[in-house]
Amino acid sequence: MSKLIELITIQGYAAIISLAGAILVISVVLFLLGTSSTEEDKMSAKKKVYKVRARYFLGLVACIVILLFVTLQLLPYPRFQSEPGEVVTVVAMQWMWKMAPGPSNETPAAFTGNTEITVPANKAIRFVVTSADVNHDFAIYNSKGVLVAQTQAMPQYHNELEYTFSEKGDYQILCLEYCGLGHAIMFGKIHVE
Amino acid sequence: MIQISSVEKRQQKKLIITWSITFLILFPLWITLGLLMRLNQGEWIKLSPDTFYALMTMHGLGMAGTLFSISLAALSYLIATRYARLNIGVGYFVYFSVVLGVIGLIIATLYAKFGPGWYLLYPLPFVGANWPGWSTALSIISLIILGIAWLIGCLHVLYALAKEYGGIARIAGWQYFKKNPPEKEMPSVVMISTISLTPGVLAFLAGAVFLIIYLLKYFEPSLAFDPLLLKNLTFFFGHTLVNITMYVGIGWLYMLLPEFTHRDWKINKVTAIAWNATFFFILFAYFHHLYMDFVQPLPLQYAGQLASYFSAVPATAVTMFGVIVQLYHSKIKWTIIPLMFLLGTAGWAIGGFAAVVDSTISINKVLHNTLWVPAHFHTYMLMGILLFILAFLYYLVVAKEDPTKDQKPKLGFWLFVIGSYSFLVMFYLGGLNSIPRRYADYSAIPLKNVHETGALLAQIAAVSICLLLVGLLLMYVTLFTKPVKNSAVQNKTAL
Repeated sequence: MSKLIELITIQGYAAIISLAGAILVISVVLFLLGTSSTEEDKMSAKKKVYKVRARYFLGLVACIVILLFVTLQLLPYPRFQSEPGEVVTVVAMQWMWKMAPGPSNETPAAFTGNTEITVPANKAIRFVVTSADVNHDFAIYNSKGVLVAQTQAMPQYHNELEYTFSEKGDYQILCLEYCGLGHAIMFGKIHVE
Repeated sequence: MIQISSVEKRQQKKLIITWSITFLILFPLWITLGLLMRLNQGEWIKLSPDTFYALMTMHGLGMAGTLFSISLAALSYLIATRYARLNIGVGYFVYFSVVLGVIGLIIATLYAKFGPGWYLLYPLPFVGANWPGWSTALSIISLIILGIAWLIGCLHVLYALAKEYGGIARIAGWQYFKKNPPEKEMPSVVMISTISLTPGVLAFLAGAVFLIIYLLKYFEPSLAFDPLLLKNLTFFFGHTLVNITMYVGIGWLYMLLPEFTHRDWKINKVTAIAWNATFFFILFAYFHHLYMDFVQPLPLQYAGQLASYFSAVPATAVTMFGVIVQLYHSKIKWTIIPLMFLLGTAGWAIGGFAAVVDSTISINKVLHNTLWVPAHFHTYMLMGILLFILAFLYYLVVAKEDPTKDQKPKLGFWLFVIGSYSFLVMFYLGGLNSIPRRYADYSAIPLKNVHETGALLAQIAAVSICLLLVGLLLMYVTLFTKPVKNSAVQNKTAL
């Protein structure tokens, strides 16, 4: 079972949940179209629907509370991160990524780095991400083209993203915040060894 | 109950017809911009990036603005002809201001290629811009004009309702919180208008603040502002505008659907509590746009997910179950208006569900700014509020007769629905395949499957848009010929 859970990506869960929701909505629509051909007194219909509604309400609130309890423990924010194995400084600018190992005291404009970087596998890497000009978004894609992690690159602020690369190989960096003309050609690369 | 004279009703009718015609002209125009974008992403046409992003900016601003404007106009018309006196001069002021703002934006984007996206995310309009400086100023001023028009439009409705129904607390439905229901019933649309438009007023004020800051920056480029604060203001403004467009439409769902089911839909304690809770959910849900800003204070991130999740409770347990009470064994005649209301509610639910999924922080980290985002909001805009708007327009053109005698859905309607859902599914699949949003095209992406999948989905989406456009234009035939036929029948009878 745990293997199955690991096999499904987060996107997969989103697809399953959303599809289930859409099927439920369509079923209700079909049910209403089917039952509306006959007439029933409003009070009697209301009574029946309200009975279902009471159960639905309790079920929904219970689901929300459980989901909040589970999901709010899986946050990507610094408070939920472990001690990093390595730190990588990332500076975004129109329209390129600059990366270098270790923390940096330089201003984003003065920072020098490369569009490619090598990091070890199975070690928590903390990316300290900022921008030298406008908002960008530092998004990591694995070799299969699946988005695995991201954080905004914002001028004047440093966002700290932690990610552990479990597979060796090349990961691509795409920009996911619209940043002007070159938004769709702003790439970087992470080699995981 | 207030008496509205037939002269006032005629004046209001003229105004809403003017709004409707303007909407019916602008809406397919904005769709066409979207079609060009998907064609370019599908690599069937070649647009330069500056053209693409200018189209993207106008598409976003045009759609959000036009849908809100017609929704506010429709709500104002229904209120002005039934529940409270609205000044016709103010109505025309709002109309002409919106037209002026739209013209300004069209010139800035489609002529001067102003292209920082609908949200003009600070400091993008001022850094590395490829468009002339005057188009930035023109856009900011146009948005200020639009913001003022919407602010006045909302305040006008709220003031008229408060005057007629005894103050802001009453129109918010607080009298229903008491143990015993009030002696004098209030129409549900009054409470829904209050709950929907009040956050709008706050959002437009926030919009005014960030637009004035932008103007200062334009005239004094050395000024620097906090990008996180401006991001918060921008999304509070933009998210709330889009969110309340849906709620405004629900106002006339509560009002008009009972005319077809012959079942009343009144306020009670539960609906009053639910709608007042919705007020806070509308205000706080926008935080989910900033989940990937890890420096945003943690309590605000929690607030975003909590507000987004709990907004599902009143929306489904009260309004959607309200629709079920209306329709269940109602022996309703499924003509096009009630069908649009039912499918519009379904579209709202499906899009809303996908939005709640995306509002989960631990899911958002892999869906944020992928095509999943346009997927969910296009669902409740295209298959939600737009169907409510079309239902209203059909209601308007058949209102001279018995509104329940409107026609059965025909080919145009079904083409529109099928085309729309086909178009939307491509967005959802794009999100699930990590296809980034706001890319002029995917050809440079160094991941072959992302590039190829993105382009293929865009191609299918483009064909789907053509289908929905044909369907929409077929529906236009009814909308435009019905009043002419009505008037011909009336003339014949008079002779």
